[in-house]
Amino acid sequence: MRHVRARPFDKLRVTLGGITGNPVAFACVLVAMALLLFVPLGHNGYLEIVFRNILMYAAMAYGWNLIGGYTGYVSFGNVTFFGVGAYCAGVLSAHGVQNLLAYVLVAMVVNAAFAALVGLPVLRLRGHYFGIATLGIGLAVADIVENLDALGASSGIHLEQADEAHFSIYYYAMWLVALGAMLATFFIARSKLGYAFVAIRENEDAAAVLGIAATRYKIIAWAISAMMTGAAGAVFAPANGFIDPSITFAIDSNVFPIAMTILGGIGTAAGPFIGAVLLAGANEVLQNAFVNSHTLFFGSMIVLIVLLLPRGLVWVFGLRGGARTWLKTLTAFRA
Amino acid sequence: MQLLAQDLVNGILAGGILAVVALGFSLVWGIMNIINLAHGAFVMLGAYATYQLTKSFGLDPFLTLPLSFVILFALGYVIQRFLINRVARAPILITFLLTFGLSLLVVNVALLIWTGDTRGVTTSYSGANFTLAGVTVPWIKLDTLLAALVITGLMHVWLTRTRTGRAIRATSMDIGAAQLTGVRVRQIYAIVFGLGAGLAGVAGTLISMSYAMTPSMGDPFLIKGFVVCVLGGLGSVQGALIGGLVYGVVEAFATQINVTIGTQSISGSGLQDAIALIVLIIVLIVRPTGIVGKAVV
Repeated sequence: MRHVRARPFDKLRVTLGGITGNPVAFACVLVAMALLLFVPLGHNGYLEIVFRNILMYAAMAYGWNLIGGYTGYVSFGNVTFFGVGAYCAGVLSAHGVQNLLAYVLVAMVVNAAFAALVGLPVLRLRGHYFGIATLGIGLAVADIVENLDALGASSGIHLEQADEAHFSIYYYAMWLVALGAMLATFFIARSKLGYAFVAIRENEDAAAVLGIAATRYKIIAWAISAMMTGAAGAVFAPANGFIDPSITFAIDSNVFPIAMTILGGIGTAAGPFIGAVLLAGANEVLQNAFVNSHTLFFGSMIVLIVLLLPRGLVWVFGLRGGARTWLKTLTAFRA
Repeated sequence: MQLLAQDLVNGILAGGILAVVALGFSLVWGIMNIINLAHGAFVMLGAYATYQLTKSFGLDPFLTLPLSFVILFALGYVIQRFLINRVARAPILITFLLTFGLSLLVVNVALLIWTGDTRGVTTSYSGANFTLAGVTVPWIKLDTLLAALVITGLMHVWLTRTRTGRAIRATSMDIGAAQLTGVRVRQIYAIVFGLGAGLAGVAGTLISMSYAMTPSMGDPFLIKGFVVCVLGGLGSVQGALIGGLVYGVVEAFATQINVTIGTQSISGSGLQDAIALIVLIIVLIVRPTGIVGKAVV
């Protein structure tokens, strides 16, 4: 109790279970992933879409977690990569390529290049400046796509879809993308790369003094983050059958993955998945219950998560001292 | 030449409004170190407050300026006191997300009240304009520019001459020292956030007179407000004014340029967000302190 008073965010990182988070939580997540493989066997089209969306958000949340959680650069523009990935698939499909694997691979390559290119100027910025610049990138790219006839402008692109009998291929593809993002996070976090990311998060100048080429590692983190997010977009586009700027660059899908990561546990390998299941699930229920006002509830949910669980569920379960300690941490940032 | 002069005038007229948008944003950021992502939503609320007041009570839109300031000030004060103050000193991610959640909430409430239809405020003098040396100036835009200048001037005087204004500036310089001299920081923060929201409301009122409104109208103003803030220099009244005017002119000229991508030529007016981003990145690289300010990147 004594050691959570002044700066609970820093002090309690230890109880998260090292650099990848609580191992029990990660094992549970792997089991849950294995169970999710059986969803298409139920032949329930609606449920399949719900769970495919959960997997999609999980992949996006893992993408954000790498740059925002591990490297500490709060990106508000990761939806750009989702959109770029989706449009890679759209353009390939319009040119007669009907191969899901090709979509994903091209999206990953294009996104990595795009992230590196944009990252060179933008990753020089820190804190607020980085956050809002990335928000601007998303709006700017959406602006450009909306005006380009080659990309269907604001009327969007229709993609050829697999027939009904093979429709579950999109579900399995999304499952693979989510699993890839999850395992990649786990192994990257345990590698030298992961330790470099965390060093940059904790103190970039000190990391630089220790010989970590901060700019290079930041660009690597952002490029991997972009690849995860873009792969999800490349599967989403054909699965949805139609893309336009308002669907693929929705400002909400910018923030859903962030809220999910925070709810589950930021900077852990299990957190993004847990958050995605809970929040995407809750959003689905709200959407059905309140057709017109679900954003209202979603906004309130984000506010409540930030105020009550700023370090996420994974953290709360590892908290020593029970409810009293938790209550104390809630008032730690009062002015 | 005529066209250039017209663009210049249009830019200055639009810049005055941007200055007021940025002023509130800049105060909250400079003094509390919080990026208020709900600022655009507050601008939208100000516009709808004017819409509702003119529609229900037949008020002249300029008369609603103080009313929308008071309404938004009260809202901002309460939000700061009961929500944001809980995390006022937390890492940026927390306040970013909190204010984003708030903006989702506010926009959705507005959507439920006023629906998503495009609305506008029209008066008997809406279409009136005069021509000076071949440059057309709409009266209403000139009046909003004057109102914007008066508001910025008032803010400057208030911040430098009054007791509360000085306490606010003291807080932004050194919280600890301010507290030692008896400044109640919690109170000051609530006033500053209320002021930021109030100024956003005033900006919304000014915007409502020349532009159409929808509940999602705030987003571009949030981004532009941020760019203006960085351009002029953080937390400074003069900075917001100069930044706003410069940005307004840059945007007026940039929207006249046609960009060719591939085989297609795009008019710059469709690329406003992209222009804002490019200006932002250039400023941050060339002059990260802003034109008059002391911002640190």
